[in-house]
Amino acid sequence: MLSYILRRIVATLPVMAIVALFVFGLLYIAPGDPAVVIAGDQASPEDVERIRQSLGLDRPFLIQFGSWVWRLMHGDLGTSIFTNLPVSTMIGQRLGPTLSLMMVTLLLTIVVAVPLGVVAAWKAGSFIDRAIMGFAVFGFSLPVFVVGYFLAYVFALQLEWLPVQGYTPLNRGFWPWLQNLILPAIALGCVYIALVARITRAAMLEVLQQDYIRTAKAKGLGQGGILFIHALKNAAVPIVTVIGIGIALLIGGAVVTESVFAIPGLGRLTIDAILRRDYPVIQGIVLLFSFVYVLVNLMIDVTYTLVDPRIRY
Amino acid sequence: MALLEVENLQTHFRTPSGINRAVDGVSFHVNEGETLAVVGESGCGKSVTSMSLMRLIPEPPGRIAGAIRFAGKDLLRMSDREMRAIRGNDISMIFQEPMTSLNPVLTVGRQIRETLMIHQGLDKQAAETHAIEMLTLVGIPEPKRRVREYPHQLSGGMRQRVMIAIALACNPKLLIADEPTTALDVTIQAQILKLMLDLKRRVGAAIILITHDLGVVAEIAERVMVMYAGRKVEEAPVAELFRSPRHPYTQGLLGAVPKLGSSLAGTTTRLAEIPGQVPDLRKPIAGCVFAGRCALATDLCRQYAPGLEEKGPGHIAACHYASKGAVAA
Repeated sequence: MLSYILRRIVATLPVMAIVALFVFGLLYIAPGDPAVVIAGDQASPEDVERIRQSLGLDRPFLIQFGSWVWRLMHGDLGTSIFTNLPVSTMIGQRLGPTLSLMMVTLLLTIVVAVPLGVVAAWKAGSFIDRAIMGFAVFGFSLPVFVVGYFLAYVFALQLEWLPVQGYTPLNRGFWPWLQNLILPAIALGCVYIALVARITRAAMLEVLQQDYIRTAKAKGLGQGGILFIHALKNAAVPIVTVIGIGIALLIGGAVVTESVFAIPGLGRLTIDAILRRDYPVIQGIVLLFSFVYVLVNLMIDVTYTLVDPRIRY
Repeated sequence: MALLEVENLQTHFRTPSGINRAVDGVSFHVNEGETLAVVGESGCGKSVTSMSLMRLIPEPPGRIAGAIRFAGKDLLRMSDREMRAIRGNDISMIFQEPMTSLNPVLTVGRQIRETLMIHQGLDKQAAETHAIEMLTLVGIPEPKRRVREYPHQLSGGMRQRVMIAIALACNPKLLIADEPTTALDVTIQAQILKLMLDLKRRVGAAIILITHDLGVVAEIAERVMVMYAGRKVEEAPVAELFRSPRHPYTQGLLGAVPKLGSSLAGTTTRLAEIPGQVPDLRKPIAGCVFAGRCALATDLCRQYAPGLEEKGPGHIAACHYASKGAVAA
C-alpha cells in the first residue's frame, strides 16, 4: 500500500512535466505581450524592447522553457513580472481563502448531496425523488455567478443575515471565517451538489437491487441501516470518484466565485495575472492546480481501498 | 396450533402488461419443528411465496393479500416495526445465491453480529463472541480469523455456511431456506443439507425448504407441497407423495428425475419431461391451471378448475381425475 502510494507520487512527475510544457507553450503562443503592459501607454518601441530583453522574453522558446524548468526543479516558481514578488510568496498569500472556500464547499456538498441522492434512490419514482432530481437539473444548469449574485442579493443585501462579500482568516475566529464563506460555498457548490446527488442516486439504485440488500432486510435491519451502511458503502466507489473529479470543477468555479464575492484567493490572483500577462504567476498557479488535481486522484484511489475490501494495490 | 398458518395467500405484481398473479390463493401450515418442502419448477411461485412470508416483496409493484399467521399473529397486519422484530429473529431466511447474498464490503463477523445486536441487544463484544461461536457451529475452520474476513475471501460453500450462521444466530422458530443448495456443487450440497438438519434439531426450528430437487426433498422433508402456476396442486407426507403421487403434474415431476444406473442395467429410456410451459400468469386461467400441459386433460378440466380434495390421509390434490385410489397412469 505504502509502496503503491510512493510509486503513484513518482508517477506524477512525468504528468507534471507534460503539464508544465503545455502551460508554458500555451502562454508563449497566446496573444499579448507583458512588456507592452509593463511599459504602459506612453512607452516608445525601444522601451518595450528593453523591458522585453530584461525579462528574457526575446530568447528562443526552448531556452526560456529550459531556464524556467531548471528553476522549477530548484523549487523556484519565478518572480512576478508585475509585482517583483516571488510567485511562491504570492500564491502563499492567496492560498488560505481558496483552500477555505474549497473545503467548505466540499463538506457542504458531501453533507447535502449524498443524503439527497440516497433518499431519491430509496423513494425512486416518488414525488420526493422527482423533486430532488428536478432541483439537481436546476442546480446543474445555473451558472455560478447567477446563483452568487442572487444569494448575495437575498441573504446579504435584503435579509442582512450574512456579509455581502470579503474574507476573514480563520485565526480571527471560526464563525467570522465561516460567515463569509457560506454564500460563496453554496453558489460554488450548486453544480457540484447536483452532480454528486445524481451519481449517488444512480449508484444506490443499482446497489438496492442486489441480493445482499434483501439479506439485510431479512435480518430485520431498519431502513436507515440498510441505506446508509449496507447500500451506501457499496455505492461509494462511483460517488468518491465523482467527488474527486468534481474538485476540478471547484477549481474553475472558485475563480468566478471569488470575483463575485470579492474573496482575495487564488482565483482572483489568476484573473489579475492573466489580465496583466504576468506569465510566471499564471504558470505557477496552473502548475499548482494540476498538482492538486493529480494528488486528489491519488487520494480517490486510496479511498477506494477503504470502502471496498476487494480493491487492493 | 400450527406455528405458521398461511391462508389464501395472494401475491400479485402490477406489470405494464397486466397483473401477474405470481401466487394465487395458496394455503398451508407448518407445525413446530416440522420440515415442509415446497417444490415446483421455476416460475411456479415458490420463491415469491417464501418472500411473501417475510414480507420482502416490494410493495408496490407487489401486493400481498390473505393471512399469514405466525404463532397466532397475522404478519400482514403488523407494522413495519413489528415485522422487523420478527425478521431474522423469529423467522429467518437462507437464500439461493451464497455468492451474492452477503454484503461484499462488510466483514463476515459484522454481518453476523448485526442480527444479534438488533434482536438480542448484545453489545459489540458479546455479539462478536457469539458470532465466533456460530461460525464454529456451522463448521468453519479458524473462526477467529474468519470473522474478520470479507465474503470474497470465502468459497461458495463457506459463504452459505455463513448465511446459515446468520439465519440461526437468534435461534429462530422458523427457517425459510430458498433453494439453499442449488448454487453449490454436489458434495457441498450434501454437507450443507446435513448441517441444516443438525442445526434444526439443535435449535428446534421448523423449516420451509423451497427446492426443485426431489432428491433433497426425499432426504429431509416430512411433508411436501407441490406448487404449479402460483397455486398449490398437491400436498402429502413425503413417503406418501413419492409412493402414490395423485396430481399429473407431481407424477410428471417425479418421472422427470433421471435414474442412476439405468444405462448399466440396459433399460435406458428417454428422460421423461413435462411438455409445454408454465402458463402466462398475467392472463386469467379458466379451468385447471395444468390442463394445457396435461396428457389426461378433458373438456371438464379446461372449463372447471378442480378444488383441493382429500385423496388419502393428509394427502390433498387438485385434480378432477385423481380419485381416492391412484390416478389413471
